[in-house]
Amino acid sequence: MMNDKNSQKIVDIIQNWARKHSIWVLAYGTGCGAIEIPPTMTSRYDAERLGVRGAATPRQADVLLITGYLTVKTMKRVIRVYEQMQDPKYVIGFGSCTINGGMYYDSYNTIKVLDKYLPVDVYINGCMPRPEAVLSGFAQLQKRIAEGRANGAQQYKDNLEWYRANQKKIIPNWIMPEYNW
Amino acid sequence: MKEIKENIIQRIKANFADAAEKNDFKDNRVDFSVKKETIPSILFYLKDEMGFIHLSHISCVDWLEEGELEVVFIVWSPKDKIKVFVRTRLDRDNPVMDNVDMIWRQANTYEREMREMFGVQFTGLVAPEEFLLEDWQGPPPFRRDFDTAAYAEKTFWHRPGREDAQDVRETIANRDGEEIPDFAKKYSR
Amino acid sequence: METVLMDILGAVVTFLVAFVVGMTYGGLSRKITARVQNRKGPPWYQNFIDAFKLGFKKSAIHHGVMHHLGGAFLMVSSVMTLMIVPVLSHNNWFPNLNFQGDLIFLLYIMTFGPLGMALGAGQTGNPNSAIGVTRGLSQMVGFEIPWVLALVALMIQYHTTSITGLMAAQAHSGTWLMFSSPFAFIAAVMAMLGMFRYSPFDIVGAPTELASGPVSENGGKYLFVMMSSGSVFTFAKLTLYVDLFMGGADNLLILLVKTFALYLIPMLYGMTTPRYRTEQAVRWFWGWPSFFGLLAILQAVIF
Repeated sequence: MMNDKNSQKIVDIIQNWARKHSIWVLAYGTGCGAIEIPPTMTSRYDAERLGVRGAATPRQADVLLITGYLTVKTMKRVIRVYEQMQDPKYVIGFGSCTINGGMYYDSYNTIKVLDKYLPVDVYINGCMPRPEAVLSGFAQLQKRIAEGRANGAQQYKDNLEWYRANQKKIIPNWIMPEYNW
Repeated sequence: MKEIKENIIQRIKANFADAAEKNDFKDNRVDFSVKKETIPSILFYLKDEMGFIHLSHISCVDWLEEGELEVVFIVWSPKDKIKVFVRTRLDRDNPVMDNVDMIWRQANTYEREMREMFGVQFTGLVAPEEFLLEDWQGPPPFRRDFDTAAYAEKTFWHRPGREDAQDVRETIANRDGEEIPDFAKKYSR
Repeated sequence: METVLMDILGAVVTFLVAFVVGMTYGGLSRKITARVQNRKGPPWYQNFIDAFKLGFKKSAIHHGVMHHLGGAFLMVSSVMTLMIVPVLSHNNWFPNLNFQGDLIFLLYIMTFGPLGMALGAGQTGNPNSAIGVTRGLSQMVGFEIPWVLALVALMIQYHTTSITGLMAAQAHSGTWLMFSSPFAFIAAVMAMLGMFRYSPFDIVGAPTELASGPVSENGGKYLFVMMSSGSVFTFAKLTLYVDLFMGGADNLLILLVKTFALYLIPMLYGMTTPRYRTEQAVRWFWGWPSFFGLLAILQAVIF
């Protein structure tokens, strides 16, 4: 007879398998990176064979793909989009700009380190990352989901105050609706 | 081409006493500098009397050393295929000039951007306060005395190791089991 | 008592078969679309994985009672349609609630789901949902006309208002209705293009334009319910067409062959045509399809 812990483990494995093979992506094309998504999705690289598919709205999406630089103005919208997504949710930081600012390292209006504001599960390096790199990033995310290590959403919930303080530091005029997420 | 340009210069000089020719371009550009009070009347004259019906651009240049801001209007005549630059200088500490969006409605957008980025005030401009920058509290960011690097240093986090990207090189080298080449070692810390 | 239990069991089996077949058809359509676009495409069971993932989502927010009920209305409408449509001609495993006049009831119940969905989408407060609902109802006004004309033609011609009656008429005469009343079949197939909402008529959920329209505020389990009800509804509609025009099916294999052949029509037509605007779609339905519907009625009255 199995005990509760073992059966939970088996359920987790099945759930993670389903999550891994069905990734609905909300591509938030803030900057230049949005142009790399069509070749990734269409016939040349065909991300749909991995189960990666575009989602139309944040409510339906699993992955928030943040492409390119984030200005303070778009950061507000990204936070709103992320908080509207349903658990479990993942974030992919796409391009050098999300990692360390990239070529906008001294810009007055773009954030440099994304993971201070949102929990990032996978970073894709490059300026711009080619579709091969994007697919490699998705494969990395699938690996992390299967191992149960892609728990950025849980981290965000646990450290909400820290993230909120960081977000409010760059967004002084904090007018955000309350969500029942 | 040359005659048309001469004709345009003659007409503008005859009608506006303060219009002075700035640069003599070889191609189809004509360049004028006027006082800031003359700007609406010269633009009206160019549009209504001389066929310069298209506003190509309004830009702003910061002459920090001379303590002045220069606003440049570029208008285009589709009939003559001539571009006219109309320049004017404003005091850098108190940059106020007339609003021209009754001549071209699209000037409104340029004026909002200049108000936000250079701090140029247009009297009578009706537009919402914020345009590109939200919650901006610093000085106008496109002025040359605004130090963006220092501001970014103060406001945002920076990931250490960005200057030489050595950690990225090491991570890739470790993952793929390859040697870091000599030319790349030169940049290491 | 035992017959009631058997019927309940049979209803459950019917539902499961409809779910599995509808989901598989959805996956096959994605695969075929991918092959047409020279891609490898997802596996045929991709829709099942998507559905399970949506079911396993930890959170699913809702915006109020009507939003909660929107998906339920859709599911009720799909299951009701499925229960009225005879799946196989002579089989005890697939019971159905046929009665005199069920064709007219079906016309009502098939529009009930979208109407309930419209109520649910209204409460989400999302502007895309409202626009999507408006478009969906406009499109329904478009394709209901040829569809009703085709069904009325069949009712006049064979003096019956029940699906089983029409099936019996086909079995009696030995020819399928798609040959004996071809105009009604043409009108009904053209209306089917709108019912399935494949490409030229995907104005309701236009993903790049309306962010999937009425379902844009539904995530997680709500989307799972809508996805499965859509699959069941697909199967029910295809079976209805097979029953009405292709003489029904004696066993499951023949049913699958016939339904898939029908399913290919909207799918392949959609791959060659870009999306219509709403008024273009309505005009399209009120053009040739309605004309063929009128011809069908003329044929039914004169002959």
